[in-house]
Amino acid sequence: MIAAAGSSRLQRALLSFAVLAAVYWIASEIGSRVLPQRIWMVAHYVENVQLLPTYASLAEEMVFLIRSGILAQSLLASGSRVLAGVALGALVGITLGLATASAARLEYLAEPWIAFFRFTPAFALLPLFVLWFGLGEVSKVLLIAAGVAIVTLQGAFDGARRVPRVYFDAARSLGAGAGLVLRRLVIPAAVPSVLASLRIAVALAWVTMVVAELIKPTMPSLGYLLALAGAYPRVPTMLIGIVTIGALVLASDALALWVDQRATRWMRRRDA
Amino acid sequence: MRSGGPVKARLQISDVAYTYAGRTPTRALDGVTLDVLDNEFVAIVGPVGCGKTTLLRIVSGFLQPARGTVLCDGAPVTGPSPARGYVFQEEAIFPWMTVRDNLEFGLLAGRVEPAVRATTVAELVGLIGLRGYEQAYPKELSAGMSKMVEVARVLATDPSILLLDEPFGPLDAQTRGRMQDALSALWARRKRTVVLVTHDVEEAIWLADRIVVFSPRPGRVKTQVAVELARPRPAEVRLSPAFSEIKRTVWRELGLMGG
Repeated sequence: MIAAAGSSRLQRALLSFAVLAAVYWIASEIGSRVLPQRIWMVAHYVENVQLLPTYASLAEEMVFLIRSGILAQSLLASGSRVLAGVALGALVGITLGLATASAARLEYLAEPWIAFFRFTPAFALLPLFVLWFGLGEVSKVLLIAAGVAIVTLQGAFDGARRVPRVYFDAARSLGAGAGLVLRRLVIPAAVPSVLASLRIAVALAWVTMVVAELIKPTMPSLGYLLALAGAYPRVPTMLIGIVTIGALVLASDALALWVDQRATRWMRRRDA
Repeated sequence: MRSGGPVKARLQISDVAYTYAGRTPTRALDGVTLDVLDNEFVAIVGPVGCGKTTLLRIVSGFLQPARGTVLCDGAPVTGPSPARGYVFQEEAIFPWMTVRDNLEFGLLAGRVEPAVRATTVAELVGLIGLRGYEQAYPKELSAGMSKMVEVARVLATDPSILLLDEPFGPLDAQTRGRMQDALSALWARRKRTVVLVTHDVEEAIWLADRIVVFSPRPGRVKTQVAVELARPRPAEVRLSPAFSEIKRTVWRELGLMGG
């Protein structure tokens, strides 16, 4: 049942990408003949610009980016930034969320802050982070972590808060102390909500990564690749960068979804 | 009535009163006095809102009475304890735990060693007829079986009293009947002092040795009816004249029948 549903979803995704690829092929073949190749940029003309690069030139660019190792290095640099940011942010966010939800006094103090940060974009912190931590690696990772922490804190807090009271009563009357209640009740009950928030946080982490890398591009990174492609301008490089980031977001989301479904098998599902 | 003999009361409730605070304070209980003997099965029936559940929550220790005392095995009740196993009206089985983990929870809380935990769980699983379902999650069980797991989970810690708060309330009539039979069989094999709160008079007669009828709010003990039906009680007992006679008496006390 689940496998069948999964494969049909995969088929649908492949079909829709194929359709898009075909449309782009037609557009780029026409575009390369029709569109201007001379572009006014800021203060001068740039020659030989392909606004809609053909597959041939995309393939050529791809081969160059792979052969030179630029793509791999960029992937590694940006990917590890995202990974570090997600790990740090999730650790802080989930811990704070669970702690806040479990301690009445902490909740009293923290709930207004949680409400305040709920819709505050982490990007707003960027100027402050740059001032505090400079324009280097620390700022970038911390910015990603901040975004992830805000989202996962919310998820952990909501998940822990929504545990029905009767479970706590049952545990108490069975003689459970605070430690056991946290380990066997609060945490497992919060897992679905935490994982759902983590899925959103991971997608957000990629977005934050791109923004952070575009603001201060450092070699090598996907953001640097995009910034460089924009400066020349080289549309094939841009498109490859964009598609690569999109693919990474999709892949990490699929991974997060898989973990979510594995970890919440105990839940009653509407489709089950 | 069997009071007064040499048998010591397992549970002594004396002059218990309780008022729910709020903008309009509600007097839920007013001067309830009740003794429950060792291994006795007592059912409390009464109209909706008569404080049956409140009394049970006071006995369990979740609520502190405004007046009066509750003694369990001679000691005052100060808070919830595995010595007074409580089966809730709501679904309280932990959905993220397997049947085994649910049954084991109280033993884990009591720091019982793994070998003993395993044998206790195996025994309980057999007792409620769920052998082979140890690794199943609650979502794979029927509502009735989930409730039996809750009853067994409470039995795992070997409580001296079992407090059942409308355990089969939300079940359909047929499942209810089957669960009542299962509970009756369980009780026959694991004799225990039981206080059952129910709105179902037939359930009370079928299961209990004694029925306590509560008055409408504020709850008081209106009258007590002994159920002198021999055990084990075969299914046909439900259709017997003696059963009907008790039913008539209880209904009359509840004001559901004239005369």
